[in-house]
Amino acid sequence: MRQYFKNIYEAIATILVGMGVTWRHLFTRAVTIQYPHVKRTLPERSRMQLFVEMDDCIGCMACERACPVDCIEIKTVRGGKDEDLGQTSNGQKKRLHVVQFDIDMGKCCYCSDCVFPCPTGAIRMTPEYEFITYDRSTLLTKFATYSPEEISELEERERKEKEAQAAAKAAKLKAAEEAKKAAAGTDEPKSE
Amino acid sequence: MKKSNIPESQFELQVPDSLKTEEMTLSMGPQHPSTHGVLQVILKTDGEIITSAKPQIGYLHRCFEKHAENITWHQVIPFTDRLDYIASMNNNLGYVIGLERMMNLEVNERAEHLRVVVSELNRIASHLIALGTYGLDIGAYTPFLYVFRDREKILDLFEEICGARLLYNYIWVGGVAYDAPDGWREKVLEFCDYFDPKVKEYNDILTFNKIFIERTANVGVIPAEVGINYGVSGPSLRGSGVDFDLRRDDPYSIYDRFDFNVITGKGEMGTVGDTWDRYWVRVAEMVESVKIIRQALENLPEGDAKETVPRNIKVPAGEYYMRTETPRGELGFYIISDGSKMPNRVKVRSPAFCNLSVLPAVAPGVMIADLVAIIGSLDIVLGEVDR
Ligand code: SF4
Ligand code: SF4
Repeated sequence: MRQYFKNIYEAIATILVGMGVTWRHLFTRAVTIQYPHVKRTLPERSRMQLFVEMDDCIGCMACERACPVDCIEIKTVRGGKDEDLGQTSNGQKKRLHVVQFDIDMGKCCYCSDCVFPCPTGAIRMTPEYEFITYDRSTLLTKFATYSPEEISELEERERKEKEAQAAAKAAKLKAAEEAKKAAAGTDEPKSE
Repeated sequence: MKKSNIPESQFELQVPDSLKTEEMTLSMGPQHPSTHGVLQVILKTDGEIITSAKPQIGYLHRCFEKHAENITWHQVIPFTDRLDYIASMNNNLGYVIGLERMMNLEVNERAEHLRVVVSELNRIASHLIALGTYGLDIGAYTPFLYVFRDREKILDLFEEICGARLLYNYIWVGGVAYDAPDGWREKVLEFCDYFDPKVKEYNDILTFNKIFIERTANVGVIPAEVGINYGVSGPSLRGSGVDFDLRRDDPYSIYDRFDFNVITGKGEMGTVGDTWDRYWVRVAEMVESVKIIRQALENLPEGDAKETVPRNIKVPAGEYYMRTETPRGELGFYIISDGSKMPNRVKVRSPAFCNLSVLPAVAPGVMIADLVAIIGSLDIVLGEVDR
Protein backbone atom coordinates (compact mmCIF):
# COMPACT_ATOMS: atom_id res chain seq x y z
CA MET A 1 0.00 0.00 0.00
CA ARG A 2 2.72 2.46 0.94
CA GLN A 3 4.58 1.53 -2.21
CA TYR A 4 1.47 2.32 -4.23
CA PHE A 5 1.20 5.86 -2.92
CA LYS A 6 4.94 6.32 -3.13
CA ASN A 7 4.78 5.45 -6.82
CA ILE A 8 2.03 7.96 -7.40
CA TYR A 9 3.93 10.60 -5.51
CA GLU A 10 7.12 9.91 -7.48
CA ALA A 11 5.32 9.97 -10.80
CA ILE A 12 3.78 13.35 -10.04
CA ALA A 13 7.02 14.75 -8.65
CA THR A 14 9.11 13.69 -11.65
CA ILE A 15 6.47 14.97 -14.03
CA LEU A 16 6.66 18.32 -12.30
CA VAL A 17 10.45 18.28 -12.67
CA GLY A 18 9.99 17.67 -16.37
CA MET A 19 7.35 20.36 -16.58
CA GLY A 20 9.86 22.70 -14.96
CA VAL A 21 12.15 22.15 -17.92
CA THR A 22 9.43 22.83 -20.45
CA TRP A 23 8.24 25.83 -18.43
CA ARG A 24 11.70 27.35 -18.49
CA HIS A 25 11.69 26.82 -22.22
CA LEU A 26 8.70 29.04 -22.65
CA PHE A 27 10.96 31.98 -21.97
CA THR A 28 13.78 31.13 -24.33
CA ARG A 29 13.95 32.27 -27.91
CA ALA A 30 12.61 29.92 -30.52
CA VAL A 31 15.30 28.09 -32.47
CA THR A 32 13.11 27.43 -35.49
CA ILE A 33 12.76 29.84 -38.36
CA GLN A 34 9.80 30.44 -40.65
CA TYR A 35 11.43 28.83 -43.62
CA PRO A 36 10.11 30.23 -46.87
CA HIS A 37 10.00 33.72 -45.39
CA VAL A 38 13.25 33.55 -43.45
CA LYS A 39 16.21 31.76 -44.91
CA ARG A 40 19.46 30.65 -43.38
CA THR A 41 22.63 31.66 -45.10
CA LEU A 42 24.49 28.47 -45.72
CA PRO A 43 28.23 28.14 -45.21
CA GLU A 44 30.24 28.47 -48.39
CA ARG A 45 31.26 24.81 -48.34
CA SER A 46 27.65 23.69 -48.55
CA ARG A 47 27.26 20.85 -50.99
CA MET A 48 24.04 21.53 -52.81
CA GLN A 49 23.56 22.05 -56.53
CA LEU A 50 26.49 21.49 -58.85
CA PHE A 51 27.66 24.24 -61.10
CA VAL A 52 30.11 24.10 -63.99
CA GLU A 53 31.88 27.16 -65.27
CA MET A 54 32.06 26.12 -68.91
CA ASP A 55 34.65 28.77 -69.79
CA ASP A 56 37.05 27.02 -67.44
CA CYS A 57 36.36 23.44 -68.40
CA ILE A 58 39.08 21.83 -70.49
CA GLY A 59 37.16 18.64 -71.06
CA CYS A 60 39.62 16.36 -69.32
CA MET A 61 36.82 14.15 -67.98
CA ALA A 62 38.49 13.74 -64.60
CA CYS A 63 35.18 14.54 -62.94
CA GLU A 64 33.31 12.00 -65.02
CA ARG A 65 35.74 9.28 -63.99
CA ALA A 66 35.59 10.24 -60.32
CA CYS A 67 31.83 10.10 -60.01
CA PRO A 68 30.72 6.97 -58.17
CA VAL A 69 27.24 6.94 -59.69
CA ASP A 70 28.13 7.93 -63.26
CA CYS A 71 25.81 10.90 -63.46
CA ILE A 72 28.11 13.16 -65.47
CA GLU A 73 28.21 12.79 -69.21
CA ILE A 74 30.80 14.68 -71.20
CA LYS A 75 31.44 14.70 -74.92
CA THR A 76 34.29 16.59 -76.49
CA VAL A 77 35.40 17.46 -80.00
CA ARG A 78 38.98 18.33 -80.73
CA GLY A 79 39.59 21.95 -81.68
CA GLY A 80 40.96 22.80 -85.10
CA LYS A 81 44.70 23.10 -85.66
CA ASP A 82 44.91 26.86 -85.60
CA GLU A 83 41.74 27.54 -83.70
CA ASP A 84 42.19 29.46 -80.46
CA LEU A 85 39.75 28.30 -77.80
CA GLY A 86 41.09 30.68 -75.18
CA GLN A 87 42.41 29.99 -71.75
CA THR A 88 40.90 28.98 -68.45
CA SER A 89 41.06 31.34 -65.52
CA ASN A 90 44.11 29.55 -64.14
CA GLY A 91 45.99 29.81 -67.39
CA GLN A 92 45.49 26.37 -68.94
CA LYS A 93 45.10 26.29 -72.67
CA LYS A 94 41.81 24.85 -73.89
CA ARG A 95 42.17 22.33 -76.68
CA LEU A 96 38.77 20.68 -76.78
CA HIS A 97 35.27 21.84 -77.51
CA VAL A 98 33.13 20.51 -74.68
CA VAL A 99 29.98 20.00 -76.70
CA GLN A 100 28.07 18.11 -74.07
CA PHE A 101 28.26 18.41 -70.31
CA ASP A 102 25.21 16.91 -68.61
CA ILE A 103 24.82 16.29 -64.94
CA ASP A 104 21.80 14.36 -63.81
CA MET A 105 21.05 15.95 -60.46
CA GLY A 106 18.43 13.30 -59.90
CA LYS A 107 21.15 10.66 -59.75
CA CYS A 108 23.78 12.75 -58.03
CA CYS A 109 24.51 11.74 -54.47
CA TYR A 110 26.16 15.05 -53.55
CA CYS A 111 29.39 13.41 -52.54
CA SER A 112 31.50 16.12 -54.21
CA ASP A 113 34.03 13.55 -55.41
CA CYS A 114 33.93 15.23 -58.81
CA VAL A 115 34.99 18.59 -57.44
CA PHE A 116 38.41 17.61 -56.13
CA PRO A 117 40.10 16.14 -59.22
CA CYS A 118 39.17 19.04 -61.51
CA PRO A 119 42.43 20.70 -62.60
CA THR A 120 40.84 24.08 -63.26
CA GLY A 121 38.19 24.34 -60.56
CA ALA A 122 35.48 24.54 -63.19
CA ILE A 123 33.05 22.20 -61.47
CA ARG A 124 31.98 23.10 -57.98
CA MET A 125 29.13 22.73 -55.54
CA THR A 126 27.09 25.78 -54.71
CA PRO A 127 24.96 26.55 -51.65
CA GLU A 128 21.94 26.78 -53.97
CA TYR A 129 19.40 24.27 -52.71
CA GLU A 130 16.05 25.38 -54.07
CA PHE A 131 15.85 23.48 -57.31
CA ILE A 132 12.88 21.24 -56.75
CA THR A 133 10.81 20.53 -59.83
CA TYR A 134 7.60 18.78 -60.68
CA ASP A 135 9.25 16.78 -63.41
CA ARG A 136 12.20 14.56 -62.82
CA SER A 137 13.59 15.01 -66.31
CA THR A 138 14.25 18.69 -65.65
CA LEU A 139 16.85 17.66 -63.10
CA LEU A 140 19.12 16.77 -65.99
CA THR A 141 21.20 19.92 -66.09
CA LYS A 142 22.93 20.76 -69.35
CA PHE A 143 25.88 23.07 -69.09
CA ALA A 144 27.26 23.03 -72.63
CA THR A 145 26.23 26.00 -74.75
CA TYR A 146 26.69 24.51 -78.20
CA SER A 147 23.67 24.31 -80.47
CA PRO A 148 23.00 21.02 -82.32
CA GLU A 149 24.04 22.59 -85.65
CA GLU A 150 27.32 23.74 -84.19
CA ILE A 151 27.93 20.31 -82.77
CA SER A 152 27.27 18.54 -86.04
CA GLU A 153 29.46 21.07 -87.81
CA LEU A 154 32.28 20.51 -85.35
CA GLU A 155 31.86 16.78 -85.57
CA GLU A 156 31.86 16.91 -89.34
CA ARG A 157 35.05 18.91 -89.27
CA GLU A 158 36.64 16.53 -86.81
CA ARG A 159 35.67 13.61 -88.98
CA LYS A 160 37.14 15.28 -92.04
CA GLU A 161 40.30 16.13 -90.18
CA LYS A 162 40.57 12.62 -88.99
CA GLU A 163 40.03 11.30 -92.47
CA ALA A 164 42.64 13.66 -93.81
CA GLN A 165 44.98 12.54 -91.10
CA ALA A 166 44.28 8.91 -91.80
CA ALA A 167 44.81 9.51 -95.52
CA ALA A 168 48.06 11.31 -94.82
CA LYS A 169 49.16 8.47 -92.60
CA ALA A 170 48.23 5.89 -95.20
CA ALA A 171 50.06 7.85 -97.85
CA LYS A 172 53.08 8.04 -95.61
CA LEU A 173 52.98 4.32 -94.98
CA LYS A 174 52.61 3.62 -98.67
CA ALA A 175 55.49 5.89 -99.50
CA ALA A 176 57.63 4.19 -96.91
CA GLU A 177 56.74 0.81 -98.29
CA GLU A 178 57.47 1.86 -101.83
CA ALA A 179 60.77 3.28 -100.77
CA LYS A 180 61.55 -0.03 -99.12
CA LYS A 181 60.54 -1.94 -102.21
CA ALA A 182 62.56 0.34 -104.36
CA ALA A 183 65.52 -0.19 -102.08
CA ALA A 184 64.96 -3.94 -102.28
CA GLY A 185 64.60 -3.64 -106.07
CA THR A 186 67.96 -1.98 -106.39
CA ASP A 187 69.46 -4.59 -104.17
CA GLU A 188 68.32 -7.50 -106.23
CA PRO A 189 70.32 -7.01 -109.39
CA LYS A 190 73.50 -6.71 -107.33
CA SER A 191 73.18 -10.17 -105.88
CA GLU A 192 72.63 -11.72 -109.27
CA MET B 1 8.01 -22.78 -16.39
CA LYS B 2 10.98 -21.24 -18.15
CA LYS B 3 10.46 -20.68 -21.82
CA SER B 4 13.79 -19.08 -22.61
CA ASN B 5 16.82 -17.68 -20.93
CA ILE B 6 15.02 -14.60 -19.71
CA PRO B 7 14.67 -13.86 -15.99
CA GLU B 8 11.38 -14.89 -14.47
CA SER B 9 10.30 -11.32 -13.88
CA GLN B 10 9.16 -11.03 -17.47
CA PHE B 11 6.65 -13.81 -17.04
CA GLU B 12 4.55 -12.23 -14.35
CA LEU B 13 1.81 -11.66 -16.88
CA GLN B 14 1.24 -15.31 -17.65
CA VAL B 15 -2.28 -15.99 -18.80
CA PRO B 16 -3.99 -18.78 -16.90
CA ASP B 17 -4.57 -21.84 -19.07
CA SER B 18 -8.36 -21.55 -18.80
CA LEU B 19 -8.24 -18.19 -20.56
CA LYS B 20 -6.04 -19.30 -23.45
CA THR B 21 -7.30 -18.44 -26.89
CA GLU B 22 -6.07 -19.20 -30.34
CA GLU B 23 -2.68 -17.89 -31.37
CA MET B 24 -2.75 -14.89 -33.64
CA THR B 25 -0.18 -13.90 -36.24
CA LEU B 26 0.39 -10.20 -36.35
CA SER B 27 2.51 -8.33 -38.80
CA MET B 28 4.17 -5.32 -37.25
CA GLY B 29 5.61 -2.98 -39.82
CA PRO B 30 7.08 -2.33 -42.31
CA GLN B 31 5.32 1.00 -42.03
CA HIS B 32 5.02 0.98 -38.28
CA PRO B 33 6.56 4.20 -36.97
CA SER B 34 8.34 2.54 -34.08
CA THR B 35 10.26 0.07 -36.20
CA HIS B 36 12.73 2.84 -37.08
CA GLY B 37 12.53 2.40 -40.79
CA VAL B 38 11.25 -0.46 -42.82
CA LEU B 39 11.45 -3.41 -40.52
CA GLN B 40 8.72 -5.96 -40.41
CA VAL B 41 8.31 -8.19 -37.42
CA ILE B 42 6.04 -11.21 -37.70
CA LEU B 43 4.59 -11.75 -34.26
CA LYS B 44 2.79 -14.77 -32.95
CA THR B 45 0.73 -13.63 -30.04
CA ASP B 46 -1.21 -15.36 -27.37
CA GLY B 47 -3.60 -12.63 -26.40
CA GLU B 48 -1.38 -9.74 -25.51
CA ILE B 49 1.71 -11.87 -24.93
CA ILE B 50 4.19 -12.57 -27.67
CA THR B 51 5.12 -16.17 -28.23
CA SER B 52 7.51 -15.61 -31.10
CA ALA B 53 8.87 -12.67 -33.04
CA LYS B 54 10.57 -12.98 -36.37
CA PRO B 55 12.16 -9.92 -37.96
CA GLN B 56 11.75 -9.74 -41.72
CA ILE B 57 14.50 -7.65 -43.20
CA GLY B 58 15.60 -6.64 -46.65
CA TYR B 59 13.22 -3.82 -47.50
CA LEU B 60 16.12 -1.41 -47.69
CA HIS B 61 18.65 -3.66 -49.37
CA ARG B 62 20.85 -1.66 -51.72
CA CYS B 63 23.60 -4.11 -52.59
CA PHE B 64 26.38 -2.22 -50.91
CA GLU B 65 28.80 -5.12 -51.02
CA LYS B 66 28.26 -5.87 -54.70
CA HIS B 67 28.45 -2.18 -55.55
CA ALA B 68 31.77 -1.91 -53.81
CA GLU B 69 33.26 -4.49 -56.13
CA ASN B 70 32.58 -2.32 -59.15
CA ILE B 71 33.88 1.06 -58.07
CA THR B 72 37.29 2.33 -57.08
CA TRP B 73 38.58 2.30 -53.52
CA HIS B 74 37.85 5.94 -53.01
CA GLN B 75 34.39 5.81 -54.52
CA VAL B 76 33.30 3.31 -51.87
CA ILE B 77 33.50 5.99 -49.18
CA PRO B 78 30.27 7.80 -50.16
CA PHE B 79 28.55 4.42 -50.15
CA THR B 80 29.70 3.66 -46.62
CA ASP B 81 27.94 6.88 -45.61
CA ARG B 82 24.70 5.26 -46.55
CA LEU B 83 25.04 2.20 -44.38
CA ASP B 84 24.27 3.80 -41.09
CA TYR B 85 23.04 7.15 -42.23
CA ILE B 86 22.73 8.49 -38.72
CA ALA B 87 26.43 8.09 -37.97
CA SER B 88 28.12 8.41 -41.35
CA MET B 89 31.40 9.71 -39.99
CA ASN B 90 31.94 6.57 -37.97
CA ASN B 91 31.29 4.42 -41.02
CA ASN B 92 33.76 6.39 -43.12
CA LEU B 93 36.30 5.98 -40.36
CA GLY B 94 36.03 2.20 -40.16
CA TYR B 95 36.49 1.62 -43.87
CA VAL B 96 39.23 4.19 -44.25
CA ILE B 97 41.31 2.96 -41.34
CA GLY B 98 41.03 -0.55 -42.71
CA LEU B 99 42.50 0.62 -46.01
CA GLU B 100 45.18 2.64 -44.28
CA ARG B 101 46.32 -0.34 -42.29
CA MET B 102 46.52 -2.40 -45.47
CA MET B 103 48.53 0.33 -47.13
CA ASN B 104 50.70 1.06 -44.07
CA LEU B 105 49.85 4.70 -44.38
CA GLU B 106 50.79 7.19 -41.70
CA VAL B 107 48.17 9.84 -41.21
CA ASN B 108 48.82 13.46 -40.44
CA GLU B 109 48.33 14.33 -36.76
CA ARG B 110 45.90 17.15 -37.38
CA ALA B 111 43.76 14.93 -39.56
CA GLU B 112 43.73 12.26 -36.87
CA HIS B 113 42.49 14.72 -34.30
CA LEU B 114 39.84 16.10 -36.62
CA ARG B 115 38.67 12.56 -37.32
CA VAL B 116 38.22 11.82 -33.65
CA VAL B 117 36.36 15.08 -33.11
CA VAL B 118 33.91 14.51 -35.94
CA SER B 119 33.37 10.85 -35.04
CA GLU B 120 32.57 11.69 -31.46
CA LEU B 121 30.31 14.54 -32.51
CA ASN B 122 28.54 12.10 -34.75
CA ARG B 123 28.26 9.64 -31.89
CA ILE B 124 26.53 12.30 -29.83
CA ALA B 125 24.20 13.11 -32.73
CA SER B 126 23.35 9.44 -33.15
CA HIS B 127 22.73 8.85 -29.47
CA LEU B 128 20.54 11.95 -29.40
CA ILE B 129 18.36 10.42 -32.08
CA ALA B 130 18.31 7.15 -30.16
CA LEU B 131 17.12 9.01 -27.07
CA GLY B 132 14.53 11.10 -28.83
CA THR B 133 13.00 8.35 -30.89
CA TYR B 134 13.03 6.03 -27.93
CA GLY B 135 11.01 8.51 -25.95
CA LEU B 136 8.74 8.91 -28.94
CA ASP B 137 8.27 5.16 -29.26
CA ILE B 138 6.90 4.85 -25.80
CA GLY B 139 4.87 8.00 -25.79
CA ALA B 140 7.07 10.90 -24.70
CA TYR B 141 6.89 13.47 -27.45
CA THR B 142 8.62 16.50 -25.94
CA PRO B 143 12.15 15.10 -25.45
CA PHE B 144 12.20 14.31 -29.15
CA LEU B 145 12.01 18.00 -30.00
CA TYR B 146 14.67 18.87 -27.47
CA VAL B 147 17.21 16.39 -28.77
CA PHE B 148 16.61 17.41 -32.34
CA ARG B 149 17.27 21.00 -31.40
CA ASP B 150 20.68 20.00 -30.09
CA ARG B 151 21.44 17.59 -32.88
CA GLU B 152 20.82 20.42 -35.30
CA LYS B 153 23.73 22.27 -33.73
CA ILE B 154 26.02 19.33 -34.49
CA LEU B 155 24.76 19.14 -38.06
CA ASP B 156 25.49 22.83 -38.46
CA LEU B 157 29.06 22.19 -37.34
CA PHE B 158 29.35 19.39 -39.87
CA GLU B 159 27.91 21.53 -42.59
CA GLU B 160 30.55 24.10 -41.90
CA ILE B 161 33.44 21.67 -42.00
CA CYS B 162 32.42 19.53 -44.96
CA GLY B 163 29.33 21.03 -46.53
CA ALA B 164 26.96 18.15 -45.96
CA ARG B 165 24.49 17.60 -43.18
CA LEU B 166 23.94 13.87 -43.25
CA LEU B 167 26.11 12.01 -45.74
CA TYR B 168 29.51 13.50 -45.29
CA ASN B 169 32.14 11.68 -47.37
CA TYR B 170 34.51 13.53 -45.08
CA ILE B 171 37.06 11.06 -43.80
CA TRP B 172 39.34 10.05 -46.63
CA VAL B 173 42.18 7.61 -46.95
CA GLY B 174 45.19 9.42 -45.55
CA GLY B 175 43.34 12.29 -43.98
CA VAL B 176 40.15 14.24 -44.31
CA ALA B 177 38.46 15.94 -47.24
CA TYR B 178 38.62 19.47 -45.89
CA ASP B 179 40.64 21.12 -43.21
CA ALA B 180 38.67 22.77 -40.43
CA PRO B 181 37.72 26.35 -41.32
CA ASP B 182 38.82 29.25 -39.14
CA GLY B 183 36.95 29.42 -35.90
CA TRP B 184 35.53 25.91 -36.16
CA ARG B 185 37.49 24.69 -33.15
CA GLU B 186 36.07 27.45 -30.98
CA LYS B 187 32.58 26.67 -32.21
CA VAL B 188 32.91 23.03 -31.22
CA LEU B 189 34.19 23.99 -27.79
CA GLU B 190 31.25 26.34 -27.49
CA PHE B 191 28.95 23.47 -28.35
CA CYS B 192 30.58 21.31 -25.66
CA ASP B 193 29.90 24.00 -23.08
CA TYR B 194 26.36 24.29 -24.33
CA PHE B 195 25.77 20.57 -24.36
CA ASP B 196 26.88 19.60 -20.85
CA PRO B 197 23.93 21.19 -19.03
CA LYS B 198 21.54 19.84 -21.65
CA VAL B 199 22.19 16.28 -20.53
CA LYS B 200 20.72 17.19 -17.18
CA GLU B 201 17.71 18.55 -18.99
CA TYR B 202 17.15 15.21 -20.75
CA ASN B 203 17.53 13.43 -17.46
CA ASP B 204 14.97 15.67 -15.81
CA ILE B 205 12.48 15.40 -18.56
CA LEU B 206 12.85 11.75 -19.51
CA THR B 207 15.49 9.55 -17.90
CA PHE B 208 14.37 9.79 -14.30
CA ASN B 209 10.71 10.26 -15.01
CA LYS B 210 8.86 7.68 -12.95
CA ILE B 211 6.50 6.77 -15.72
CA PHE B 212 9.38 6.26 -18.12
CA ILE B 213 11.19 4.11 -15.59
CA GLU B 214 8.11 2.00 -14.96
CA ARG B 215 7.79 1.54 -18.68
CA THR B 216 11.39 0.53 -19.35
CA ALA B 217 12.94 -0.98 -16.25
CA ASN B 218 12.79 -4.79 -16.06
CA VAL B 219 11.59 -4.93 -19.64
CA GLY B 220 13.43 -6.77 -22.39
CA VAL B 221 16.28 -8.02 -20.27
CA ILE B 222 19.21 -9.30 -22.32
CA PRO B 223 21.48 -11.27 -19.99
CA ALA B 224 25.16 -10.78 -20.72
CA GLU B 225 25.78 -14.29 -22.03
CA VAL B 226 22.75 -14.15 -24.35
CA GLY B 227 23.99 -10.83 -25.69
CA ILE B 228 27.45 -12.20 -26.32
CA ASN B 229 26.15 -15.36 -27.92
CA TYR B 230 24.05 -13.39 -30.36
CA GLY B 231 26.89 -11.03 -31.22
CA VAL B 232 25.27 -7.97 -29.73
CA SER B 233 27.74 -5.14 -29.43
CA GLY B 234 28.04 -1.49 -28.57
CA PRO B 235 25.80 0.28 -26.07
CA SER B 236 23.31 -2.58 -26.27
CA LEU B 237 25.91 -5.01 -24.97
CA ARG B 238 27.32 -2.59 -22.43
CA GLY B 239 23.81 -2.15 -21.15
CA SER B 240 23.97 -5.80 -20.16
CA GLY B 241 26.96 -5.06 -18.00
CA VAL B 242 29.70 -6.25 -20.35
CA ASP B 243 32.64 -3.92 -20.13
CA PHE B 244 33.73 -3.91 -23.76
CA ASP B 245 34.45 -0.94 -25.93
CA LEU B 246 36.64 -1.21 -29.01
CA ARG B 247 37.84 2.34 -28.57
CA ARG B 248 39.59 1.18 -25.43
CA ASP B 249 40.08 -2.54 -25.97
CA ASP B 250 41.28 -2.52 -29.57
CA PRO B 251 42.30 1.07 -30.11
CA TYR B 252 42.30 2.52 -33.58
CA SER B 253 43.12 6.02 -34.79
CA ILE B 254 44.40 7.87 -31.72
CA TYR B 255 41.79 6.78 -29.20
CA ASP B 256 44.46 5.31 -26.92
CA ARG B 257 45.60 8.82 -26.05
CA PHE B 258 42.34 9.94 -24.53
CA ASP B 259 41.00 9.46 -21.11
CA PHE B 260 37.38 8.34 -20.96
CA ASN B 261 35.22 5.87 -19.11
CA VAL B 262 33.42 2.93 -20.62
CA ILE B 263 29.86 3.01 -19.36
CA THR B 264 28.12 -0.22 -18.47
CA GLY B 265 24.63 -0.94 -17.27
CA LYS B 266 24.32 -1.57 -13.55
CA GLY B 267 20.65 -2.28 -13.20
CA GLU B 268 20.04 0.87 -11.18
CA MET B 269 16.32 0.91 -11.90
CA GLY B 270 15.69 -2.80 -12.29
CA THR B 271 17.59 -5.71 -13.74
CA VAL B 272 20.98 -5.47 -15.39
CA GLY B 273 20.47 -5.46 -19.14
CA ASP B 274 16.94 -4.10 -19.25
CA THR B 275 15.91 -1.44 -21.71
CA TRP B 276 16.45 1.34 -19.21
CA ASP B 277 20.09 0.30 -18.82
CA ARG B 278 20.66 0.36 -22.54
CA TYR B 279 19.09 3.77 -22.70
CA TRP B 280 21.16 5.02 -19.80
CA VAL B 281 24.43 3.80 -21.33
CA ARG B 282 23.73 6.05 -24.29
CA VAL B 283 23.00 9.07 -22.16
CA ALA B 284 26.16 8.61 -20.14
CA GLU B 285 28.22 7.89 -23.24
CA MET B 286 27.39 11.29 -24.67
CA VAL B 287 29.07 12.90 -21.70
CA GLU B 288 32.15 10.76 -22.30
CA SER B 289 32.18 11.75 -25.95
CA VAL B 290 32.18 15.40 -24.96
CA LYS B 291 35.20 14.62 -22.79
CA ILE B 292 37.04 13.06 -25.72
CA ILE B 293 36.19 15.99 -27.98
CA ARG B 294 37.55 18.44 -25.43
CA GLN B 295 40.81 16.53 -25.12
CA ALA B 296 41.22 16.19 -28.87
CA LEU B 297 40.60 19.86 -29.48
CA GLU B 298 42.96 20.89 -26.71
CA ASN B 299 45.86 19.22 -28.49
CA LEU B 300 44.70 19.96 -32.02
CA PRO B 301 48.02 20.48 -33.79
CA GLU B 302 48.59 23.02 -36.52
CA GLY B 303 49.34 21.77 -39.99
CA ASP B 304 47.72 20.68 -43.18
CA ALA B 305 45.10 17.99 -42.67
CA LYS B 306 45.30 16.96 -46.32
CA GLU B 307 49.05 16.49 -46.33
CA THR B 308 49.04 12.70 -46.33
CA VAL B 309 46.10 12.12 -48.69
CA PRO B 310 47.56 10.03 -51.53
CA ARG B 311 46.80 10.92 -55.14
CA ASN B 312 46.12 7.33 -56.07
CA ILE B 313 45.02 4.70 -53.65
CA LYS B 314 47.07 1.58 -54.22
CA VAL B 315 46.09 -1.20 -51.89
CA PRO B 316 48.50 -4.14 -51.87
CA ALA B 317 46.94 -7.54 -52.37
CA GLY B 318 45.78 -9.07 -49.13
CA GLU B 319 42.91 -9.05 -46.72
CA TYR B 320 42.13 -7.26 -43.52
CA TYR B 321 39.35 -7.18 -40.99
CA MET B 322 38.92 -3.78 -39.43
CA ARG B 323 36.53 -3.28 -36.57
CA THR B 324 35.59 0.03 -35.07
CA GLU B 325 33.14 1.17 -32.47
CA THR B 326 30.25 3.02 -34.03
CA PRO B 327 27.34 4.35 -31.98
CA ARG B 328 25.61 1.05 -32.66
CA GLY B 329 28.45 -1.29 -31.89
CA GLU B 330 31.18 -3.19 -33.62
CA LEU B 331 31.25 -2.24 -37.28
CA GLY B 332 33.57 -4.55 -39.17
CA PHE B 333 34.86 -4.16 -42.70
CA TYR B 334 36.41 -7.29 -44.12
CA ILE B 335 38.37 -6.00 -47.07
CA ILE B 336 40.00 -8.19 -49.69
CA SER B 337 42.28 -6.60 -52.24
CA ASP B 338 43.84 -8.19 -55.28
CA GLY B 339 46.07 -5.21 -55.85
CA SER B 340 43.88 -3.64 -58.53
CA LYS B 341 42.17 -0.29 -58.31
CA MET B 342 38.89 -1.75 -57.13
CA PRO B 343 38.12 -3.80 -54.05
CA ASN B 344 37.80 -7.50 -54.63
CA ARG B 345 35.36 -7.80 -51.77
CA VAL B 346 34.12 -5.59 -48.98
CA LYS B 347 32.08 -7.46 -46.43
CA VAL B 348 30.33 -5.51 -43.75
CA ARG B 349 29.72 -6.88 -40.31
CA SER B 350 26.98 -4.54 -39.33
CA PRO B 351 26.26 -4.00 -35.66
CA ALA B 352 22.59 -3.16 -36.15
CA PHE B 353 22.01 -6.46 -37.93
CA CYS B 354 23.60 -8.47 -35.14
CA ASN B 355 21.83 -6.48 -32.47
CA LEU B 356 18.52 -7.08 -34.14
CA SER B 357 19.18 -10.82 -34.25
CA VAL B 358 18.73 -11.02 -30.50
CA LEU B 359 15.11 -9.95 -30.81
CA PRO B 360 13.63 -13.44 -31.32
CA ALA B 361 15.44 -14.54 -28.18
CA VAL B 362 14.11 -11.83 -25.88
CA ALA B 363 10.68 -11.23 -27.36
CA PRO B 364 8.85 -14.39 -26.23
CA GLY B 365 6.90 -13.68 -23.09
CA VAL B 366 6.69 -9.90 -23.32
CA MET B 367 3.67 -7.78 -24.10
CA ILE B 368 3.24 -6.34 -27.58
CA ALA B 369 3.68 -2.81 -26.29
CA ASP B 370 6.94 -3.78 -24.65
CA LEU B 371 8.30 -5.11 -27.91
CA VAL B 372 8.29 -1.52 -29.16
CA ALA B 373 10.38 -0.57 -26.17
CA ILE B 374 12.81 -3.41 -26.86
CA ILE B 375 13.28 -2.58 -30.55
CA GLY B 376 13.74 1.06 -29.65
CA SER B 377 16.35 0.29 -27.05
CA LEU B 378 18.40 -1.78 -29.50
CA ASP B 379 18.70 1.39 -31.60
CA ILE B 380 18.80 -0.23 -35.01
CA VAL B 381 19.17 1.63 -38.28
CA LEU B 382 17.62 -0.24 -41.13
CA GLY B 383 20.05 1.16 -43.64
CA GLU B 384 22.70 -0.83 -41.89
CA VAL B 385 20.65 -3.92 -41.17
CA ASP B 386 19.86 -4.39 -44.85
CA ARG B 387 22.87 -2.68 -46.42
S1 SF4 C 1 28.67 15.13 -56.45
FE1 SF4 C 1 29.24 12.96 -56.53
S2 SF4 C 1 27.47 11.96 -57.44
FE2 SF4 C 1 27.24 14.15 -57.84
S3 SF4 C 1 28.16 14.46 -59.86
FE3 SF4 C 1 29.76 14.83 -58.36
S4 SF4 C 1 30.82 12.88 -58.11
FE4 SF4 C 1 28.85 12.46 -59.12
S1 SF4 D 1 37.38 17.82 -64.33
FE1 SF4 D 1 36.98 20.01 -64.58
S2 SF4 D 1 38.05 20.54 -66.49
FE2 SF4 D 1 37.90 18.30 -66.43
S3 SF4 D 1 36.02 17.85 -67.60
FE3 SF4 D 1 35.43 18.00 -65.42
S4 SF4 D 1 34.83 20.14 -65.15
FE4 SF4 D 1 35.94 20.05 -67.05
